[in-house]
Amino acid sequence: MSLRTERAADRRRGGRLVPYVFAGPAALLFLAFSLIPIVIAIGLSFQDTASLGDGEWIGGGNFASMTSDPLIGTALMNTLVFTVGTVPTSMAIGLALAIALNRPLPGRSVFRALFFVPMVAAGVVVGVIMSWIFNGDYGVANNLLEALGLGRLPWLTAPGWAMATLVIVVVWTRIGFCMVIYLGALQSIPSELKEAAAIDGASRWARFRTISWPMLRPTTSILLILNVVFSLQAFDVIYVMTGGGPGFSTTVLIQYVFRSAFVDARMGYAAALGLVLVAILLVFTLLRQRANRKAEEML
Amino acid sequence: MRASHPLSATAMGRRGFIALAGISIAGALAACSGSPPSGTKHIRLSTWNIPTDIASYQAIADAFVAKHPGTSVAVEVTTGQFHQWFITRLAADLAPDVIRITPQQIGRYAANGSLVDISGAIPDDYRGDYSDPFWAIGAREDGVYGVFQHTDNFITYFNRGVMDRIGVTPPTALADAWTWDEFLEIATETKKVTGRYGFGYGWTGPETAYRWMPLVYQNGGAFLGEDGETPSMDTEEAVGALAFGRRWYEEGLVSTGNLSKTGGGDVARNLFLTGQIGMMLNNPESMAQLDEEMPGEWGTAPMIRNAGEASDLGGNALAVTKSSRHPELAAELVAMITSREQMRFFCHEGNWLPARSSLDAEDIGYAANSDTMQRFIDQGATIPLPMVRAQSGEYFSSLNAVFADYLDLCLIGQLSPRDASRQMMEAMRSVTAN
Repeated sequence: MSLRTERAADRRRGGRLVPYVFAGPAALLFLAFSLIPIVIAIGLSFQDTASLGDGEWIGGGNFASMTSDPLIGTALMNTLVFTVGTVPTSMAIGLALAIALNRPLPGRSVFRALFFVPMVAAGVVVGVIMSWIFNGDYGVANNLLEALGLGRLPWLTAPGWAMATLVIVVVWTRIGFCMVIYLGALQSIPSELKEAAAIDGASRWARFRTISWPMLRPTTSILLILNVVFSLQAFDVIYVMTGGGPGFSTTVLIQYVFRSAFVDARMGYAAALGLVLVAILLVFTLLRQRANRKAEEML
Repeated sequence: MRASHPLSATAMGRRGFIALAGISIAGALAACSGSPPSGTKHIRLSTWNIPTDIASYQAIADAFVAKHPGTSVAVEVTTGQFHQWFITRLAADLAPDVIRITPQQIGRYAANGSLVDISGAIPDDYRGDYSDPFWAIGAREDGVYGVFQHTDNFITYFNRGVMDRIGVTPPTALADAWTWDEFLEIATETKKVTGRYGFGYGWTGPETAYRWMPLVYQNGGAFLGEDGETPSMDTEEAVGALAFGRRWYEEGLVSTGNLSKTGGGDVARNLFLTGQIGMMLNNPESMAQLDEEMPGEWGTAPMIRNAGEASDLGGNALAVTKSSRHPELAAELVAMITSREQMRFFCHEGNWLPARSSLDAEDIGYAANSDTMQRFIDQGATIPLPMVRAQSGEYFSSLNAVFADYLDLCLIGQLSPRDASRQMMEAMRSVTAN
C-alpha cells in the first residue's frame, strides 16, 4: 500500500470516529442520567421499597394499590385542570404577542426580551416572589386591588383561587417561550403569500385564518406537546407557592410522585406513579403525532 | 513511519481515545475529590446551612482532630429537601458520617437501618442530664441512634402596645399560662385593636404541620396511642382540639394565609412585624428580627394551655449513618459535640436552647434576651413524652403529611372537625398499615 493510500485510509478511519467523539459525551450523559434511571425506575415500580436498592419484588402490587388510593383521583383531576388552564392560555397569549411583535414596532426587541425573561427564571425563585406578590395579607396584588377600591382576594388561601393563581403564574412564565417559537414560525412564512392574498382583497383576519394559521399548525402541535409536558412536570412553583394546598386543591400528579417517594418513603409506589405519568405523556404524544399526520395528508 | 500528531484521532484509534478519555475522567474525579492523605480517618459532618452553626461545628471538629491525631473532619451543608438528599446519598453509600437531623426525621432512618447504634460511644452520665422526652428522641429499644443536641419550642409573643391598649397583663409563670378560652378572649380584643387579626401561628411550610400537635396534647388527646404507632386522632380530646383550631379561622382571629401548607416563610412573624396581629405562638427564631425591627415593643408569655401543658418539639439531634467508614470515630465526635461543654459553646454561639437539663440561660450566657431564652428553656419541660415518641417514630414523616392535609382542610372549613378527624384516621391507618 502506498503512503498516500495509507493516509487516505487513516483519514477514513478518523472520519468514522468523529461522530462518536461528538456524540459520545451526550450519549454518556443520556445513559447515566436518563436511560439507566428509567430502567431502574421500571424495576422499582415492581418492588416494595422504602429506599433505593433494597426492595422486595411484589409484581404489580404498586399498580394495584393505585386503584384504592383516593388521592390519585384528586391529583389526576387537579393535573387535568392545571393543564387545561395553562396550555391553551399560554399558547394563545404567546401567539397574540408574537403577532404583535412581528410588526415593526419601536422597541420590539426590548419587549421580546422582557416577555421571555420569566421563562429563564428558576421556578423556585418565581414561586417565592409570587408567594409574596399574592400573599393575601401583605402582597402587592391585594394592595393594588385595595388601591383601586376593590376587595382583597384569597389568592392562595381558598381552594378555587389557589389553582387559578397558580395558572396565572405559570402562564406568565410560559408565554415568552410560546411567543418566541411562534415568532420564529411567523417569520418563516413567505411574505409573498400574504402579499398575494392582500392584492386579492383578503382581509387581515382572512389572511391569518387561511395562510398563517395553517402554516403555524406544525409549530402549534409541537408547542402543544411541549406545553402539556411542561404542565405535567410542573412541580417547583406549586411546591413553593401552595405545597399542594389548601387541602388537596393544588396537589398535582408529579407532586404526589414526589410525596410518595420522599415524604412517604414509598419508592416503588412513586416509581409506579411516575410510569403512569409517562404513559399519559406517551399516549398524548402518539395521539398528537397521528393528528399531525392526518393534517399533513389533508394539506 | 507515520508522521502524525500524537493526539490525532487517526493515530490514536478508537481504543486509544476511549482509554485517554477514561484516564482523563479518572484524573479529573481524583482531583475533585479532595481526599485526605492516605491513612487519615476522615469524617464528614453535615449540617443545615446556618453560617454560625457551621463555624461552631468546625471549631468543635478542630478540637476533636487535635485530640485524635490521624483524623480529619469536614463540615458540609445539607442541601435542598432533606429526605430527597439523604435517601439518594444513602443509596449511593455516600451519606455523611455524622448528620444533623430533626426529631421528626430521625425515626424512619433509625428504624430502617440507615443510622447506626452509637450507644457504645456515649458516656453513661449523658442519660442522667437529659429529660425522658429529649433522650427518647434518639433512644430505641435496641440502642441509641442519635443524641439530641439543641431544642426549641413555642411560647406566646405579644405586642406590648396592643396589650396596654386592651388592658391585659400577660402571665409570666408557666402555671399562670393563658387557657384556651382566656387566649381566644384576648385574641378577640387584640383583633379589634389591630383591625385585622388577633394572632398567628409559627408554621413555615407543610413539613412543619406537626408544630400544631401540642394543642392536641394540651387538650388531653394524643396523635398516636401509648404504643407510639396506633393512630388516636378520633378521641373527643383530639376532635376538641381541631374544633378549637377551626374557631381561629371561623372567627377571623387568624389569617387564612397563615396555614402550614400555605404562606411560605414565617407568615406569623411577618404579620406580627407589620402590626396585623398582636400575638403569635412561635419559636425563638423570631427574636433577632423582632429586636431589630421593633425593639422594646414586644414581650413573651408562656405557651397557652388547656387541660394540660404542651409545646412544640423543635431542635436537632446528631446521628451516625450506615455509610460511615469509621462509625466508632464518628460516634465519638457525636459524643464530644453533645458534651456539656461543647453544647454550652454551641448554644451560646448560635443562640440555641440546650438539650441538656443542667444548662440554663445563665450557664450559656446568651448575648441578648437571656430572660426570654430562659422562658423557652422552662417551656421545654412541658413537651410531652408521648408526643416525642409519636414524632420520632418510624412513620412520622408520612403521618405528618397526612396531619398537614386534614388539619388544613379542617382549619379552612372544608371539613368539620369530626370529619377531619375521621378522614385523618383513615389516612393514618393506611400509612401505618404499609
